[in-house]
Amino acid sequence: MFKTLIVILLSAVLVNNYVLRQFLGICPFLGVSKKLNQAVGMGVAVTFVMLLATAVTWPIQNFVLNNLNLGYLQTIVFILVIASLVQFVEIFLKKFIPALHKSLGVYLPLITTNCAVLGVTINNIKDGFNFLESMVSALGCGLGFMLAMVLFSGVRSRIDESDIPEHFKGLPATLIAASFVSLAFFGFEGIVENLFK
Amino acid sequence: MKKTNYWKILITGLLKENPVFVLILGTCPTLAMSNSVTSAVGMGLAATAVLICSNAVISLLRKVIPDAVRIPCYIVVIAGFVTLVEMFIHAYLPELYKSLGVFLALITVNCIILGRAEMFAGKNTVGKSILDGIGMGLGFTLALFLMAVVREVLGAGTFAGIEIPFMIDHKIEFLVKAPGGLMVYGLLIAFVNVITKGKAIKKKEFNCAGCPSAGVCNGGCKANEVKEGE
Amino acid sequence: MKYIKSVIALTAICAAISLLLALTNSITAPIIEKNASAAANEALLVVYPDGGDFTQIDLTGKELPATVTDAYSASNGGYVIKLLTSGYGANMVLMCGIDGAGTVTGATCLSSSETLGYEKTYGDTLKGKTTADIDAVETISGATMTTSGYKNAVKDALNATIILGGGSVDIRSEEEILNDNLSEALPQAEGKFVSWFMAESLENVTAVYEAENGAGYVLVSGEEFIAVDKSGAVLSEVADDVKATMEANAQLIINSSLTEVDISGYSDMPSQVKKVYKTASGNYVFELGANGFGINGDHYYNPSGKQIEIKASATKDGKIIAVLTTAQYESENIGDACAKESFYSQFNGKTEADYSDIEAISGATITTNGYKTAISKVFEAVKILEGVA
Repeated sequence: MFKTLIVILLSAVLVNNYVLRQFLGICPFLGVSKKLNQAVGMGVAVTFVMLLATAVTWPIQNFVLNNLNLGYLQTIVFILVIASLVQFVEIFLKKFIPALHKSLGVYLPLITTNCAVLGVTINNIKDGFNFLESMVSALGCGLGFMLAMVLFSGVRSRIDESDIPEHFKGLPATLIAASFVSLAFFGFEGIVENLFK
Repeated sequence: MKKTNYWKILITGLLKENPVFVLILGTCPTLAMSNSVTSAVGMGLAATAVLICSNAVISLLRKVIPDAVRIPCYIVVIAGFVTLVEMFIHAYLPELYKSLGVFLALITVNCIILGRAEMFAGKNTVGKSILDGIGMGLGFTLALFLMAVVREVLGAGTFAGIEIPFMIDHKIEFLVKAPGGLMVYGLLIAFVNVITKGKAIKKKEFNCAGCPSAGVCNGGCKANEVKEGE
Repeated sequence: MKYIKSVIALTAICAAISLLLALTNSITAPIIEKNASAAANEALLVVYPDGGDFTQIDLTGKELPATVTDAYSASNGGYVIKLLTSGYGANMVLMCGIDGAGTVTGATCLSSSETLGYEKTYGDTLKGKTTADIDAVETISGATMTTSGYKNAVKDALNATIILGGGSVDIRSEEEILNDNLSEALPQAEGKFVSWFMAESLENVTAVYEAENGAGYVLVSGEEFIAVDKSGAVLSEVADDVKATMEANAQLIINSSLTEVDISGYSDMPSQVKKVYKTASGNYVFELGANGFGINGDHYYNPSGKQIEIKASATKDGKIIAVLTTAQYESENIGDACAKESFYSQFNGKTEADYSDIEAISGATITTNGYKTAISKVFEAVKILEGVA
């Protein structure tokens, strides 16, 4: 039981990293990873919304949609739930925890159309996880996202200082750097399978 | 006069404002689905179908939808068509359904579609919107196809699953894996930079300035940029 | 007003889209389901190419071997059984096709935690087998656990088809059957028996079991289980002459006592003989150590370095009464068959002249030879002890 959860967590963070291996949430990964503090802020916000979204969508899928044979409404319901959740959290933070809203609030609206969040909720259902496993998987995906962002923000600060051929400036250089970070994550291949042998 | 106008809309989406290489939109599916030609074209056409349908419906309803709830309405319409396309692919092309996986459902959050709804379909007539959908959709498909050709031919030595002599024995497997996707994308954008002398790509950096989903963000991006400026 | 309009518009769009999806779903759902069942059917055809269409059988309330997870009946009367192995070779998901005549048409491993690769091909060797001859299929040495788990699962599948076909199969293990028989003969023992080592030669008795709670003994005579109480009175209903024999046997059992014989004085006593006891009626009981695979085998495969421990009893004129393996460290699923009653009971009643024509353990020549050598020392030891050598 505990072992399963650890395996889910580690494989989500390291092996099947959403950004670097599965290409979910590339937009914020490229857009908001310029500075370390932004990367951390975005990572925390995404992790938080992933957990919240999973906590809400899992029961909806398993207790409402499945019981009513409305499985085909999954995408619509999930995206609406995520969108309204994000709105709700933003309003809530603005009103009751303004300090947190100041540091996280700006990232929240960006998350509505972040495919990593919708992706994690759908994948949890597809993989047939139970509630606890889904939450752990959401946490792992969020942490994996944050890890990729934080690591990449370090790489980018170096790119900005280096001399790059004219046509590679900006996005091409960023993408190629991301390619190397992704390559580095291939080093984790097989680590989880062999961890408990 | 009018005819040239329509033609222009189509070409704009296909080349001049190609969503992938010029507008830099829909990066996630581009990277994830371009490792094989079959799934790239499948993904492109599925997104095109959704784009055409959602553009048409949104343009049709643009006078009925109140401004305040415009974004949720767009999302519902898009998600609805995504599910529709998903169901048809599941029923009639089960192999493609398997290879597209979760990315089929994630067309919902593909910013090309919401972006076109917000920027074009919400303001233009049905006919123009459909043409815009076709142009943008085919532009997306074309870009995916190009990337997939590079990645599959060099990386797997095959084209749409058919083995190519010589290439099959000299494949660069790295290219079909995740890092290869990022690398090829980067190189292709640099290539577009070279042939257009750096003029085509408006977004030098990846930020919210040119983001068509800016409206969705409720100004979140702007706040972000202010912060960046600090 | 504006607010209400917004809500109405959004609700209307949601409703319209849902309606559209419901409609599409009603068109596509049957096709998707058909595709899925066609795909499932195709997977089943792999192990049963002539099966035609398959229908899943509802297994609730059916008493099947525990490994069976799913069963499908083919349109021509056969079955495809899905199994999940447990124990050795755990967690292999197997699928096995069996035709109407009870012949295995194919078996395949769908997923497993094994990494050896034998699980992928072993199914082919089971093709064409029936309940009668599946035991003869050899396991693959080096992958014994995997392959014997595989074989047992397919055996379970064969049994399952018999049960599904309306027949009945004893799915109890050998031990369970024995215990049930013993309990029936002597209910007072409350189902707990220990084997009593036959130190005396008993007429018409092949094995004796003692109740753990001291309620008495059960004597196995051919197919019959005869209970006697602690005082030696026969409890089971038997014919008078049998009763007399069994009462005599019971007295021998009750009065049996072992006195250890000091063998340190016998310089020519074989090294396999560890301890010797003499019974009240003059029989001998030996504790032997046999050099099996643990001693003579390849230590890379069997690092135990220990002997097989055997208990054997013999009459003073050199006839084996009973043999029992008390401990063994041989290779799993190969040499460890020397601990099976079917192996060591072969020695019962043997003499020096005919002991060597027992059936060897397949694939375990070293174990068998070591065992036989140890038994041969019994005859030697009896001669030495009786002073006839």
